[in-house]
Amino acid sequence: MSHAAAGAIDPHHEATTATGIPNKKLLMWLFLASDCMFFGSLIATHLIYRLNPIEGNASPTRIFDIELTSGSTFILLMSSLMMALAVEAIQKGNLKMMRVYLFTTVFFGLLFLGGQVYEFNHFVHEKGLTLSSSLFGSTFFVLTGTHGCHVAIGVLWLLSLTLYSYTGKLTRADAIDVEAAGLYWHFVDIVWIIIFTAVYLIEYI
Amino acid sequence: MDTVQSDSTHEKSKFHTFVQLAMYLAIITGLEIVIIFLPFSYSVLFTTLAVLSAVKFLAVIFWFMHLIYDRALCTIIFFIGLALGGGTLAALLALFSTDRSEASEATETALKRIVVESTNRI
Repeated sequence: MSHAAAGAIDPHHEATTATGIPNKKLLMWLFLASDCMFFGSLIATHLIYRLNPIEGNASPTRIFDIELTSGSTFILLMSSLMMALAVEAIQKGNLKMMRVYLFTTVFFGLLFLGGQVYEFNHFVHEKGLTLSSSLFGSTFFVLTGTHGCHVAIGVLWLLSLTLYSYTGKLTRADAIDVEAAGLYWHFVDIVWIIIFTAVYLIEYI
Repeated sequence: MDTVQSDSTHEKSKFHTFVQLAMYLAIITGLEIVIIFLPFSYSVLFTTLAVLSAVKFLAVIFWFMHLIYDRALCTIIFFIGLALGGGTLAALLALFSTDRSEASEATETALKRIVVESTNRI
């Protein structure tokens, strides 16, 4: 029995496009490729100023709270798992489980953002590190803040998708919409994997 | 019927793959945190962290982002962006990592040569 005969939808192949890839997915991959360049430049800027520090620059190890950041990293990784399971659930037509996984992903995303808000607040009010207090502060807040904005956009996107699914208009045939949002969410996760190593861990060695 | 059954087995294995992968990623993250406190040289620790980070990065893009299940074009598109982003990062780091003392010495030598040549002409 073929997939077509069985009424199954192949999420990895779209017969109506020249590339065999659904247009929404192709567009998302193109966007993510461009976002790589954006984050590449931000990370490079931060590292350049860390490698060539000026006098009076802040000392990162005195400021960072590696336990908190490690917890945030773990939360974001788990949110990626939930997102992958949500995509799998919609591809199987299991809307109920998709909602559970999406809500969990949103919850983890909010936890991550909460951790970042706490971290920023702690840095500004207790450690005296602000956007304009030192070069380190400028590049750190711009880089991690931009990533945080991406997470916030992802949370809003996933939340709206979940709520939209209650209208009954999100079906198995629209799995690509959830998959595109999932690609964005995983990208946010991989950017954090790099930031965690390049900005935080490297300061301790 | 067989196809439907094999699809179900495939989906079940995909679920287990995702859960196992997440566990491995969590373990790697734990390792990264332990590694930074170990008394090894900077180069050893840096290389280890870079490798672990790359493993996590690749695991997420290939499994969670479905690149191993999707058309190769998706991988090509993303890696073009990644190469451009990574290349920009590497180029900028190389450009700004020039030792300042070496650079100022080179500038001083060049200036002295210009002054000597100008004096000789006069």
